[in-house]
Amino acid sequence: MNVAQKNWLTVALLGVVLVLPALAADTAVQVQLDIKKAGPRTIENLTERGILRDYRRAWLSLSQALEANTLDPLEGPFAGDAKQWIKDTVLSQQRSGLNQKYLEQNHRLEAVFYAPEGDVMELHDTAEYRLQISDGGKLIQDEHVTVHYIVLMTPGADRWVIRQLQAVPQF
Amino acid sequence: MKRVFAIFALVVTTAAGNCWAQDFRVPNSATAGEDLSIATSGNGKGTFYLVGPGASIKTEVALGEAIHLKSGDLRIAGGYLAILCSETCKSTNFYVNAAAPATIAFLVHPSRVPVGRNDAVSGVALPFDRFHNLVLAPKNVNFQLVSKNAAPFSHAARTQDGIAWFRTASGKAAGAVEAHASLDDVTAKRAVQQVASEPCNLRINGQRTNGGIIVQTDPVRDCAGNVVPDGTIITFTASEANGKDTVDAPIKQGVARVKMEAKGATVVSAASGVVMGNDLRIEAQR
Amino acid sequence: MKIILPILLVAVTIGLMVIGLMGAGHVRSTVGIVSGSAMFTAKANTPEQALQNLLDDVQRRNWDRAYADVSRTSGIDERAFVQDWMGSDGSLRSFSALEGFDSRPLHKTDDEAQMRVRLHWTTPVGPMEDTRDVRLIREGDLWRAVWPKTQFANVPAEVVPVTYLRWDLVTGTASDDWGSKNIDAPRVRITSMNAVDTAEGAVVMGEVVNEDTVPAFVNVNATLVDGAGSSIDEESSFDKIAHILLPKQVTPYRIDFPNLSLKNVKNVRMDVKATLVPASADPVIGVMNQKVDADVQGKSVLRGDLMNESGQTVNIPHVIASFYDNNGRVVWVSDGYVDRALLPQSTQPFAVEIPKSLASKVQNFHVVANQYSLGRS
Repeated sequence: MNVAQKNWLTVALLGVVLVLPALAADTAVQVQLDIKKAGPRTIENLTERGILRDYRRAWLSLSQALEANTLDPLEGPFAGDAKQWIKDTVLSQQRSGLNQKYLEQNHRLEAVFYAPEGDVMELHDTAEYRLQISDGGKLIQDEHVTVHYIVLMTPGADRWVIRQLQAVPQF
Repeated sequence: MKRVFAIFALVVTTAAGNCWAQDFRVPNSATAGEDLSIATSGNGKGTFYLVGPGASIKTEVALGEAIHLKSGDLRIAGGYLAILCSETCKSTNFYVNAAAPATIAFLVHPSRVPVGRNDAVSGVALPFDRFHNLVLAPKNVNFQLVSKNAAPFSHAARTQDGIAWFRTASGKAAGAVEAHASLDDVTAKRAVQQVASEPCNLRINGQRTNGGIIVQTDPVRDCAGNVVPDGTIITFTASEANGKDTVDAPIKQGVARVKMEAKGATVVSAASGVVMGNDLRIEAQR
Repeated sequence: MKIILPILLVAVTIGLMVIGLMGAGHVRSTVGIVSGSAMFTAKANTPEQALQNLLDDVQRRNWDRAYADVSRTSGIDERAFVQDWMGSDGSLRSFSALEGFDSRPLHKTDDEAQMRVRLHWTTPVGPMEDTRDVRLIREGDLWRAVWPKTQFANVPAEVVPVTYLRWDLVTGTASDDWGSKNIDAPRVRITSMNAVDTAEGAVVMGEVVNEDTVPAFVNVNATLVDGAGSSIDEESSFDKIAHILLPKQVTPYRIDFPNLSLKNVKNVRMDVKATLVPASADPVIGVMNQKVDADVQGKSVLRGDLMNESGQTVNIPHVIASFYDNNGRVVWVSDGYVDRALLPQSTQPFAVEIPKSLASKVQNFHVVANQYSLGRS
């Protein structure tokens, strides 16, 4: 292998090393959305894409916040009570020394209500993920869970935000 | 024989020890804001964890004694995970349901609506308990629109997954309308302003004066007879052979009025938004 | 050898000073000479030199010398002459600077000459050009400009009651109760859109109306989309729109996409944003005597007069005109700022250009008077 070839290989490897974490983050949360049952207002194409994008971002932020016990990721994707509760969870974790990891997330969203003026949407999320809870670095819980969430989302200035995120035994 | 007995005793003691490992029992569900007691069994000490919305609690407990969770620990509805660790960890899930409705989030649109439009006003009601949990149990909500000049509109709906909604036409008369959403003894109110629709039969009249032309509209009303609000712009245009004058004049006390300088034979017209009025022909200044 | 170097240095310095002074009037950037400090001006023994001297002094704001370049037969006093150049009443001219000028002779005899000068102004709203014809006469061995007496509005003192409606915006002090602060944004609608190619690039234009009963602050954006659905470019109307629209008011808008062609554009996505804003129905500005004709350079212009029918000064009037073809379609939108303030109960002329290629298509037009006033919403 000559010098030029070695340089190209180095650059390629560097690129892979830099891009991989972003890719990993991208695939860490999968979201599918079914809008067939949404009403009374029909969900527009742009809205559907916005919901998918923003719901994914919200769960990425939630995972980051609960894993690192930091409040910063919560600015933006959450509003109202949902934001306050997640903040309370993070603060509580900081006090107790616990943290949570949400891994291999898969969310099957179903839009069940879209207000006539488009100012609120209710979705049902059947979320599957691997939940790990650690106490000061020691793993105390590691299991694959399926959780049903009732989600309320409202349109913000440039994105949809989660206003309510409530787990229920079934829909 | 003695050796056999010792081995047997050791086995029995170990088995007995295993029978005395920690265990606990939680109710399948609880209500937000209520105390909860969790019975535990076993002996020795253990560590109890409670992880859920707004809660991440770790306490040292004595096995065999009940663990008391305060109302504040379980104020947020949702799924909780209780973990009890001694030598090993055991966990169980339970759900906290919303308490009785205490407030209603009532979203009404639009805040201003032209009169006489079908399906123009809509509202969505979401009941919440005193801890801001969405009440998912079906509840009856009564919607009402009350105004001075019309019979009240009323509609009863049952919440589905925490939401009830209505949609109705706007009334015929301009003015303030109060929208109510009631659930048991909880009520929320919002205001909707019904405003005049597009101007209808926009008519102008005018006359020549020494300085030019004075043009004035008749009282500007919509097709239902509601006076168009003051401040609405009427665009006056005066066209004559050597040029054109335009003035955007606001309505004051129901009419718009301008003075224009046109000296020759002039055709004056008026428009409001995309609605055109009549043309007025005025003779040249003598 | 000892004295050669100092002599050489002095000579080079003097030479550079002469070059700098001689070229001052022709460069585009402002010469760094403080107002009032005359350096060197050539004798005004030709009309061209006389005009050069005058405009150099104006550029340097050397008003005494500039006024001395004006013939006494003009009949204009120094105060009025300075005000004519400097502007007043918070007008656009009072925030502007003369960046440069070009002149050419139109007509010349032994004692009289006519020069056409294009003045290049730097203003807060961008570069502006003004073309004037200047008459010069010979007085002895010097030429001087005859400066026309400017008619400033003579507004008599009076009390003008303000009876027009005003809207205020109250944000409310209630807690963040979901749905309680329910005031919808104003309803505005784009009533027409036309996308055309020009020499400078693609242009999207049309009209938008405020259909609501409250004032709206409006902005129109357009996104050019290619055949694959990808966005090529996105631009805004910037100041080619009257941003504050009162109820039922219509404004033209124009969105420029410089150096872009429509040939790869499959779709134009329009987006109009409207927000609530405090506003007043006062001042009412009439647009009088509108007509299309040619300016001194032979370009088609729509000219007219703005008439301030209220009791408050409009510091910076702005005119936006939409031009229609015989089908009523908007074929062009032009705008222009008036660099004089519009005093109460007085008029100011305006002119906006119509592109040569479109002048023959224009069958009708509509002018909207926009305004920016200091210290007022």
